[in-house]
Amino acid sequence: MKTGLTRLLPYVLILLVTLALVWIDKPFWIQLAIGVAITAITALAWDILSRTGQVSLGSAAFFGIGSYTLAIFEPLIGLTLAWVAVVVVCALAATLLGLLTLRLRRMYFAIATLGFALSMQVLVVVFPDWTGGSGGIAPPVLADGDPRWQLGLIGLLLLAAVALSDTLLGLRFRPAFFMIRTKPELAAASGVPVVHMKIFAFIVSGVLIGLAGACYGGLYGYVVPTDVFTTNWSVLPLAIATLGGMDTTIGPLLGAIVLKALEEVARSVIGGTGYQVVYGAVIILFVIGMPQGIVGLLRKAGKLAGRRTATGEKKKERERHA
Amino acid sequence: MESTLLVQSLLLALTTAGLYAAIASGLTLEFGVTGIINFAHGEFVMLGAFLTYFLYEAVGVPPLAGMVLSGLAMTALSWLVFDGFLSRVLKQDEHNQILATIGLSILLINLAMIAWTPDARVMHAPPLLPPLQLGDVIVPGNNLVVLLVGIALYAGMIWFMRHTRQGLLLRLAADDPQLAVLAGVDVTRMFRLSFLIGGLTAGVSGGLVALILYVQPLVGVDLVMRAFAIVALGGLGSIGGALIGAVLLSAAENLTATFVPGGGSWGYGVAFVIIVLVLVVRPTGLFGSERRA
Repeated sequence: MKTGLTRLLPYVLILLVTLALVWIDKPFWIQLAIGVAITAITALAWDILSRTGQVSLGSAAFFGIGSYTLAIFEPLIGLTLAWVAVVVVCALAATLLGLLTLRLRRMYFAIATLGFALSMQVLVVVFPDWTGGSGGIAPPVLADGDPRWQLGLIGLLLLAAVALSDTLLGLRFRPAFFMIRTKPELAAASGVPVVHMKIFAFIVSGVLIGLAGACYGGLYGYVVPTDVFTTNWSVLPLAIATLGGMDTTIGPLLGAIVLKALEEVARSVIGGTGYQVVYGAVIILFVIGMPQGIVGLLRKAGKLAGRRTATGEKKKERERHA
Repeated sequence: MESTLLVQSLLLALTTAGLYAAIASGLTLEFGVTGIINFAHGEFVMLGAFLTYFLYEAVGVPPLAGMVLSGLAMTALSWLVFDGFLSRVLKQDEHNQILATIGLSILLINLAMIAWTPDARVMHAPPLLPPLQLGDVIVPGNNLVVLLVGIALYAGMIWFMRHTRQGLLLRLAADDPQLAVLAGVDVTRMFRLSFLIGGLTAGVSGGLVALILYVQPLVGVDLVMRAFAIVALGGLGSIGGALIGAVLLSAAENLTATFVPGGGSWGYGVAFVIIVLVLVVRPTGLFGSERRA
């Protein structure tokens, strides 16, 4: 088991960094931190879903649904209830997609979720009366447009996502998720409610991504469908979680920081067109060089330093799942 | 008038179906043999389109010859990509497999954007065939070429799979990789071969794209999304299903664009409604088998 101190590390770091940035008040760093936090939330949410063996390419659907729900409901029922609506609508969409894709395995699941995300984008364009069509829509501005408060709020959401991820990695859920992922029949036979758990993970994941999307829409108070429903928001969470290290909380956080930092460098070197070439390059290098992600590499480094033997690690892993 | 519109729409659908079938069958072959969905398949088509375009506009190579050269170039690139990195991903977890080809796709799209700007280009080649007039309905010559070459590619692939020794070995590696190993088949070679064939068909399809569509860095994304729908319809790994899927999809798309008000803006939305519906009803596609799922 991890010691209490390392467990608290992500929380302390997020709090300190957020407070420090709000204190220093440099617009560039605040915007960068907001970008990192939003992508980190989506990556954590994606990772939570993947722990039940559901490798999704549909995150963009929830990201977009979140921002659109906030924008559509705010004039109707007020700001507070509109945020509640974001949670409810995303939970419903997640339940629907979860049930639809329940029987799909591996690549079929990935393609169906990708299809769901892209049909959402088309849906928005086809019903312009509700959604503003391709011209976009105006969600309420987050925190009256003060970047420091925006960062604060998004930082809080990130803390919540970290806490959720940690809870789901705890003794109560992790063994069940692990079994559902590796041996679903065995899980069902030993009394794990497989369907409930899968849908539950879908809902947690979908709501988190939806809230991140609503925050994103509120940054400038204006979104277009190609901005929030773009396949980027489906690929980024997968890329970040995998690069950082799946099935961990710290992995998606590290992955978000590394990828966003590289993106900034690439943007200043290459310019606005084609800077995402760095994503492609990094992904390929990582998949070849460190398929277990940054966390996997750190673990390996720890092992080489002689702190744990290979078998000891396996045994501990097994004890953790038992 | 209504019926002319219908026939015109269906005929044009049939010609694009040729292109779709050629692209989707390469994708489905690669998946059937290796179990990896090549998300970068569309980018090979895109590169083939640019190559055919530049060969014609800059050097004056006729489009048909350009197509063949593009096919060969993409075969070579597939070889490089497979031996360079895809072969190392084959044994990894599925999220890494998905990520690997997505990474390649992002890399190629953005390199194309840096090299050639995101702007759309049109190849100004004269039509390769005279237009076909059937009563009131006119089919442009280039669409005929697309149909003919697309069908030829598809038929060639079916023939290769059914009537050659390599095709037989490919099918064995796809059906049961373990048995193939026991039978002394070099499975890695078969995996490579499936990607080489996929690259070849993608490159030639790229030449077809240059004939009837705009040449731009994102053209592959549009096409590969449709190929996913076709493959979902036909069953992942089923080359026979790819043609049926292609005809169904392009008929559905063209009919929507013609008869639904504002249906032209649905684009590949039609494809995705189809994907989701088909997979809900039959999780392995209309003609797919359970095995690879």
